[in-house]
Amino acid sequence: MNLNQVIASISAIEKETLKALESEKAKGPKEIAGDANIPLDSVRRAVQWLKEKNLIQLEEQEEKSLKLSPAGKSSLRKGLPEKMFIEALQRLGGKAALEEVKKESKLNTPELHASMGLAKKNAWLTISKGEKGVELGLTGLEEALLKGEYSLEKALNAVEAGEEIEEAERKELLRRGLAGESTIVKRTAKLNQNGLNAMKMLSTVKQRTYNVQGQVPKLFIGKKQPYIQFLEQIRSKLVALGFQEMASPLTTQEFYNFDVLFQPQNHPARNWTDTYQLKKPKSGKLPPNSIVERVKAAHENGWKTKSKGWGYNWSREVAARVMPTAHGTAHSARQIVKGVEVPGKYFTIARCYRPDVVDATHMIEFNQLEGFIVDESFTFRHLLGMLKQFAIEVAGAEDVKFFPDYYPFTEPSVQMSAKHPKLGWVEFGGAGIFRPEMMEPLGVKAPTLAWGLGIDRLAMFKLGIKDIRYLFAQDLDWLRKSEMVSVK
Amino acid sequence: MPNVEVSLKDMQKLLGKKLSLKQFEDAVLYAKGEIDAVEGDKITVDVKETNRPDLLSAEGLAREIRGRISNDRGVPKYKIKKSGVKLLVDKNVSAVRPKIAAAIIKNVKITQDTLIQMINSQEKVCLTFGRKRKEAAVGIYDWGKMKAPMHYRAYKPREKKFIPLEYKAEMDLNEILEEHPKGREYAHLLKGHKLYPIVEDDNRVVSSMPPIINSQVTGKVDEKTRELLVEVTGHKQDVVETALNVMVSAMAEREFDVYSVDIVYPKEKVTTPNFKPKKAIVSLKEINRISGLELSKKKALELLAMARYDAKEKGGKIYVEYPAYRQDILHPVDVIEDIIISYGFSNIEPAEVKVATVGGESKEAKQAKIVREICVGMGLQGILSFTMTSKEKQAKKIALDEEKEEFVEIANPVSENYAVFRKRIFPELLEFLSRNKHCLYPQKIFELGKTLELDSGTETGTREENTLSIVLSGKGFGFNAIKSALDAVSDNLGIKYTLKESAHPSLKEGRQAKISFGGKKGLLGELSNKTKQSFGVEQDTVVLEINLP
Repeated sequence: MNLNQVIASISAIEKETLKALESEKAKGPKEIAGDANIPLDSVRRAVQWLKEKNLIQLEEQEEKSLKLSPAGKSSLRKGLPEKMFIEALQRLGGKAALEEVKKESKLNTPELHASMGLAKKNAWLTISKGEKGVELGLTGLEEALLKGEYSLEKALNAVEAGEEIEEAERKELLRRGLAGESTIVKRTAKLNQNGLNAMKMLSTVKQRTYNVQGQVPKLFIGKKQPYIQFLEQIRSKLVALGFQEMASPLTTQEFYNFDVLFQPQNHPARNWTDTYQLKKPKSGKLPPNSIVERVKAAHENGWKTKSKGWGYNWSREVAARVMPTAHGTAHSARQIVKGVEVPGKYFTIARCYRPDVVDATHMIEFNQLEGFIVDESFTFRHLLGMLKQFAIEVAGAEDVKFFPDYYPFTEPSVQMSAKHPKLGWVEFGGAGIFRPEMMEPLGVKAPTLAWGLGIDRLAMFKLGIKDIRYLFAQDLDWLRKSEMVSVK
Repeated sequence: MPNVEVSLKDMQKLLGKKLSLKQFEDAVLYAKGEIDAVEGDKITVDVKETNRPDLLSAEGLAREIRGRISNDRGVPKYKIKKSGVKLLVDKNVSAVRPKIAAAIIKNVKITQDTLIQMINSQEKVCLTFGRKRKEAAVGIYDWGKMKAPMHYRAYKPREKKFIPLEYKAEMDLNEILEEHPKGREYAHLLKGHKLYPIVEDDNRVVSSMPPIINSQVTGKVDEKTRELLVEVTGHKQDVVETALNVMVSAMAEREFDVYSVDIVYPKEKVTTPNFKPKKAIVSLKEINRISGLELSKKKALELLAMARYDAKEKGGKIYVEYPAYRQDILHPVDVIEDIIISYGFSNIEPAEVKVATVGGESKEAKQAKIVREICVGMGLQGILSFTMTSKEKQAKKIALDEEKEEFVEIANPVSENYAVFRKRIFPELLEFLSRNKHCLYPQKIFELGKTLELDSGTETGTREENTLSIVLSGKGFGFNAIKSALDAVSDNLGIKYTLKESAHPSLKEGRQAKISFGGKKGLLGELSNKTKQSFGVEQDTVVLEINLP
């Protein structure tokens, strides 16, 4: 990096630190923090960065520093012994026997003698012999001491405050053991030549540049759930192909799930292990009797459809039972009972339920894309044509294959495999022409081509997942990272 | 869908052609079969047609396929000899299980494999066509150990004893229903009856107690058995005879000799099996109207023969006869499908659907799109949870009484975790938070989906709501933050709301409210410490839940 680049990369705290060092004097971090008015931590970081950018040099100096000893601290608190000695004498009237002063001052004998010596040396004290032995008196020169002007006392205070003191006082404090001395290393920073040059140029550069490769905080945007995105796009596709969306309730009467679809009530597929049943509510209401009676007749004897029917006694009670919707065709049945337009195209994205153990390939709750098209002109060939269109438009398939299949409600029935460019051949849907026993009792004579597409596999591919449970992902990190889904 | 296990070698023999596995895979499509698994010579075929028990055996599959790939066409002809054996039906079975059909099979050349296959086939017929033995239960016995005439009569539960299959000691009929595994499984089929049906020989040696279990003495067949009695019981003569035809015609495919049995009812006599073909009529016009194939008369007749029909055309109508082992033909469309299968799905040119219609989304989908856009605009992450959940999450964990809360409830849950339909979404979102505590905060999530409540006023007894729930979690989220979210939804939908102080036990006192939102209900507030604990949520968390009008 040349100097221009270096200057351009300087942050605000680095700039303030440089300014504080402009005087060319070496300064420690504390000093810089005070001068630049920025936190000490920031200064330490800035100093490190500036060193790496070669704008400053760091120096280390050894310095001796004084510290009060326990005796020094005690003197600071109580006063120096010599001061206590003079104060005691003053309290005794300025004249007193040695013994009296000793008592008054509470000094011990060595302290007393040292104090006496010092007082004499400073000419605060007269010593004479009287009736009571040695008699002491004040000279008047002790005034300064009592007013706090005593140089050693001042030195004590200064050391405590970390200030400099005169050499004489330093020696005296050390001699009397009131202070001790230790060596510390003081680190300072100083602009180097590069730094001085930079300072001259600094005012001409306005904005710092960034390391464009650097990490920045993640921004988590608001997003639709990926499977919802996928389903919305599927829905748009179907609408664009001219399909009307049908209602898709979560629960249904067995009437729509099975009976309208000509599935006999004693059929094993209607039992406990293949579908969910409800404890509450147990049953619902059936549509108008005219329809129910015809459905009943279709099951029992084929009604007027040329069919033999299933030949058993059909029960209203069984048909009225309510269950979680087991397949999307239940919604087609409901729509046809309600009424359809001919020609018409209908679809639904149905939430369906099947008892199972939830694992990477099984869910008890899943979506089915279901529907039908109805017109007088439709034949089995149109059914294949429609499936092929779905495979190409919805799944992006390149080729399709058709196989015979079986559904209780369609005849003929067909299964489609679609060749997906990435997935290869995939079973993609089932379809068929609704049986006359189903449609004629509902008043629809036109051929009705029913279809259901397995979209979960396609969704998994689009979402890039291997575990089907991720369609209902409970993993926030994955949801935040997931790309927007596109259906082509 | 039923699986059939076959051996490729055996199949080749039955088909009279040395098909490769790949060729067999294509051929088995004619019988709506799909290869599920291959293990050496053993092939598991998934037969998708649940209404054709005649396809649930190697013999049946081969018979169906031969029509399409060889000149063995039309209704299969099997020879039946008269055995003269009588099966006498007592009138006392009429209340419990009145009908029976039977045949005697001789010249049985059986290997271990065919034996297993026969038994599997028997079980599948009982399961699918027989509606889990209710309508038809099949029994196969060692005829060599029995003495004619046979008897079908009913006994009091303690009156009769025999050794059930795979058991060592005699048990009375009641003990069998209570103790034998098959007895317990099928006891419901005899529930409420005072007499239980028994098939036995003239020495009163029991063959079986239909539809429950065979006897160990005569009901045990193995590869040394040379003569068989096959019997089917049920409630309708045509049903039991069809089931018998399915079993016996498969044996006839193996070139065993079939002998008839005279069933003597109190007031009539029937001779079974009866292989007389059944009849149907279908018009050429209808064939072409449904298939779209524009078939000629000749072509249609050929395709029918391939599907093992005998057919004659007269005045635009085609009179078909089909094998007595089939019972799935209810309507002419069933015949038409067989014609199309013979034609080959891969030979059909798909026709473009040119009918133009106007498409449209449901009202609900349109609203959902707008509401989700509002939520995304607020920077919320969309979530999708299951609509089936647990009572614990929906009640106990949000401080509601599990006993008093009523749900749309599953009668046969696989797991307690999915035992009720959700009434509200926010507990599911709180559960989501608890699973994502390691992720960066703030966590702002929403779900729009269906909730379900009991409602006797609707046709399904349930009421669905389109419910929006928003949960914000992270440092400093309080009542005002979630109220702002409500405002954003309300302002952008143009729906006014009113608030009232509330006392929901999952939310903090004095920091929550009930919402009335365009006639629908909702709530919002700060999550109480107790609820936070029950979900293991540590951050400040606020919730909103409204039903959309």
